[in-house]
Amino acid sequence: MKQVPFINSHYRTFAYALLFALAWTWASWWMGDIYRITYENSYLAADSTLMHFLWQQSFGSLWIAGRALLLLYRWPLLGGLAVALLLTAATWLVGYCLRLRPRWRWLSLLPAGAWMAWVAWTGLNLYYESEPGRTLGILLLGVLVCAIDAFIIWTFKSRSANHKHHSGAPATVGTWVSTVATLVVCFGVPVAITHVRHPYARPLTHMQVQMLNEDWEGMSQTARDHASLSYRPLAAYYAIALVHTGRLADDLFDIRLDFDSLHVVNYSGEPDVGSNYYIIDCNYAAGLFRSAEHKAVERMTMEGPSLATLKHLTRLALLDHNWPLARKYLSILGRAPFEGAFIERYSAMLDSPERVAADPEFALLRQTEPVMDNFESYFEQPVFLGYNCVLMAGRSATALQHSLLANLYSKRMPAFLERCQALMGSTPQKTIAEGLVTQVKKNPAIVQAFPQLQMTAQMYTGFLRNVATEMKDRPRYARQLFDSYKGYYPYYYFFGNLKATRKSDKKEHASSNAGVN
Amino acid sequence: MKRSSFFITTTLFIAVLAMSSCSGRPKSVPTAFTDVTDSAMIFPDYRDVTIPPNIAPMNIKVSDDGATEFVVEIGSLVAGATADGKTDIDSTAWRQLLEQNKGKDIAVHVYAHRPAGWVRFLPYTLHVAEEPIDGFLSYRLIEPGYELYRQLGLYQRNLSNFDEAVIYENNRSFSDKDNHCVNCHNFQNYSTDRMLFHVRAAHGGTVIIEGNEAHKIAIKHDSIIAAGVYPSWHPTQALVAFSTNSTGQVFHMFHKEKIEVLDMASDLLLYDVEKNSVRHILRSSDALETFPCWAPDGSRLYYCSARCNEARADSLILRTVAKYDSLLYDIYSIPFDAATRTFGEPRLEVDASASGHSTSVPRISPDGKYLLYTQGDYGQFHIWHHSADLWVKRLANSDSYPLTAANSAEAESFHSWSSNGRWIAFASRRLDAAYSRVFIAYFDRDGRAHKAFLLPQRDPDFNTMLLKSFNVPELTKDAVKISTEKLNHIVYDTEAELASYEE
Repeated sequence: MKQVPFINSHYRTFAYALLFALAWTWASWWMGDIYRITYENSYLAADSTLMHFLWQQSFGSLWIAGRALLLLYRWPLLGGLAVALLLTAATWLVGYCLRLRPRWRWLSLLPAGAWMAWVAWTGLNLYYESEPGRTLGILLLGVLVCAIDAFIIWTFKSRSANHKHHSGAPATVGTWVSTVATLVVCFGVPVAITHVRHPYARPLTHMQVQMLNEDWEGMSQTARDHASLSYRPLAAYYAIALVHTGRLADDLFDIRLDFDSLHVVNYSGEPDVGSNYYIIDCNYAAGLFRSAEHKAVERMTMEGPSLATLKHLTRLALLDHNWPLARKYLSILGRAPFEGAFIERYSAMLDSPERVAADPEFALLRQTEPVMDNFESYFEQPVFLGYNCVLMAGRSATALQHSLLANLYSKRMPAFLERCQALMGSTPQKTIAEGLVTQVKKNPAIVQAFPQLQMTAQMYTGFLRNVATEMKDRPRYARQLFDSYKGYYPYYYFFGNLKATRKSDKKEHASSNAGVN
Repeated sequence: MKRSSFFITTTLFIAVLAMSSCSGRPKSVPTAFTDVTDSAMIFPDYRDVTIPPNIAPMNIKVSDDGATEFVVEIGSLVAGATADGKTDIDSTAWRQLLEQNKGKDIAVHVYAHRPAGWVRFLPYTLHVAEEPIDGFLSYRLIEPGYELYRQLGLYQRNLSNFDEAVIYENNRSFSDKDNHCVNCHNFQNYSTDRMLFHVRAAHGGTVIIEGNEAHKIAIKHDSIIAAGVYPSWHPTQALVAFSTNSTGQVFHMFHKEKIEVLDMASDLLLYDVEKNSVRHILRSSDALETFPCWAPDGSRLYYCSARCNEARADSLILRTVAKYDSLLYDIYSIPFDAATRTFGEPRLEVDASASGHSTSVPRISPDGKYLLYTQGDYGQFHIWHHSADLWVKRLANSDSYPLTAANSAEAESFHSWSSNGRWIAFASRRLDAAYSRVFIAYFDRDGRAHKAFLLPQRDPDFNTMLLKSFNVPELTKDAVKISTEKLNHIVYDTEAELASYEE
């Protein structure tokens, strides 16, 4: 009798172990940060009042089940483990139910592969303006349906002597080839989709996880590691990191700011620019607390409570010294599991303006809080630093610096120069000096006002000489020149953010580069 | 055998879990305790309030660090609570208690089981009024989200228990095709025989309900600023006074208030339900008229009006917004002849602007003696203004004064009288300055409001957990008769009939 190789006689064990290992890797390492941020955009509590918004929706109970599973992504390794187990179980159950002959066993992998491909295709819409429990809810439903089916078959099998199956038959080389090939396709396709269709998704969510850990240096490093990717949310979170590291004036233009389109859709399923993705975080980081609250409440209206929104609202209530409101949000957060550390940190500030004032993050952000009231609608785009484009009075040098940089970013040079008057007599920071020299030709008086600009002006002259040819076709050469001139403001002024510049040029600033974003 | 064992084990496990979750609450007053000189920390604050004899059980949550059990002794009724401190008062015993104590005070003692033993806090009283409150309270539940909306609805609460019925809910999931807002529910003379509400955006119109029938109308004409907004049913006729407002809202960046809701223009309309026709009551370019309200006998229409000297122009919006805090509304009334359906000359009722204040939401008491309104520092959308308080004017002698005992440091507005004039229900943001909640206050025969109490809920934490605001609480004597399904059909499946305009 021919000896069956061990790997063939234990085909199922090895195949499922391989599937499980790959699934765990994909679900925890590759998708870990994405699902971690999905978790932050979700909320689950054992309270009918709080979950009413979800429970009453079509498939509400399914989404709740998905959110329950999502809780494990508080720790991506654990969440990934659960997803890997479910994918493995689903594959086993499909195989069991279909009673596939050995040569067709690879088919049982396809449902898991299809689910992963769908998840990858969904990208940021795993949570952005959509239900965060959807993908995991559907996975759970799929496994449940397979389990019920398997249970029926199991019951039927025990009562039928005629039931025949092939699951115990040893595998062949062909079986292994088809299985491994299917595994490669099942995992390769989702990875490729994420890499090609949503190249921003992993670095972006990684930055957000770093933000949760207040790892601001790490955030800015992640953005710089992906400097050639140019998407608004990446730029937004990079700017937030720079606000916290105090390097906004040094590093703002170190990444590409041309803004390719995101593959996200809004609540209606229409393509969306994704500004709602970062607007609350950005307003908060810019010290625009009222606007951050406004947008956070709007988001809660549309999506129900989420951990991210509730945490923002808690901080904003504390900054407003509205203790009852902060207490309310903390109570609601307290109904969700695993948020003890946040609750402990911020509960200590209740009823204590001194503790609020002493919080380093709050103190930093307070520096750029407006000093005069105005209506939000009077402020201008872009939503983040752009609010400070019109800032004419600030409570700190940081506020002035943000305003200057916002105007440089927006290429609103008259407004930039107007604010530079406050710097006369001092040595401007590198980026601000680089901005000033771009305007010397139109405003020769700048040289008298800032005599220290001589070196910067010489560099600028050299830059203009070097890019004279490329200047004739800026869109064509912008990407090519980026690596040579990243971080250099005149490059950004002439070659950066051209798509938005062109759009706004037509609208209101035909003779300048103003009005970006 | 194996499978049956599995099912039995699972069933037993679930049963044990279910039983273990039903922990017992103390059922009797402790026999040994120490009196302490503190007041118990309770939520809601029901200390020394006057309550209707037909109100639902007033459950509370007691907080006391380290205490593991609580007992609340309300007259002869004993309610226990475990460590969460929440009572769940037996409704039958509560009803009997109130019935037996009409016109009397009930003493409430709160006990807490601390590690060192039971303590008893300082007592407080519930005064049970003789006069009941109307049986039903209608309101809208909506997030205090300012521009967007998703799921919202109109609901009706049975005030003698905790039942809440849906009058109408919009689409529960986001849908471009179906997204709509509902607002401004209004009833004729405390009855649900005639009522209305507006539908905005998709499926828009005003739903007019008469008994068990409903239809949808649209108020639209070149000479009308916008659709009807704030409504008031004539107490006896099939007539509705509407304001028509061009409204916008703006968001403060650095201000004690968060939002300003402003009218750029507004007029008053009279809608005839039977003829489906509409005409202007007041139309002026130099005044902003809004919040119409009929006197109980239908002989006068009260409303708010602010001088707006700016001529209507393209830049009106900017000018209005820039001067948002100088728009001051006074209350006027205008006589109405029901026989000829004509209006007389306006009369100034409350001259708030003279003292640098502004009024909104005039409501006349059922006996016609009192004008209840909101007064704030400026503007008319006072529910977003910290300064907004309830005021009354004695119509007999023009004496105006704030309802100090019922007011708070936060906004109070959108008030409603009970049909016997002894109760007022209103929205207040006093709990957290963000989410409005319904408070009820007794209004005595001397024209004084008593301390207001929060609308009771089965779970005292409900108000903390609810992330929606209560809007426009309206008291009625009876429940809404028309079914939600029928209203869904009217809103979704019927076109609004355009009201004809009468010059």
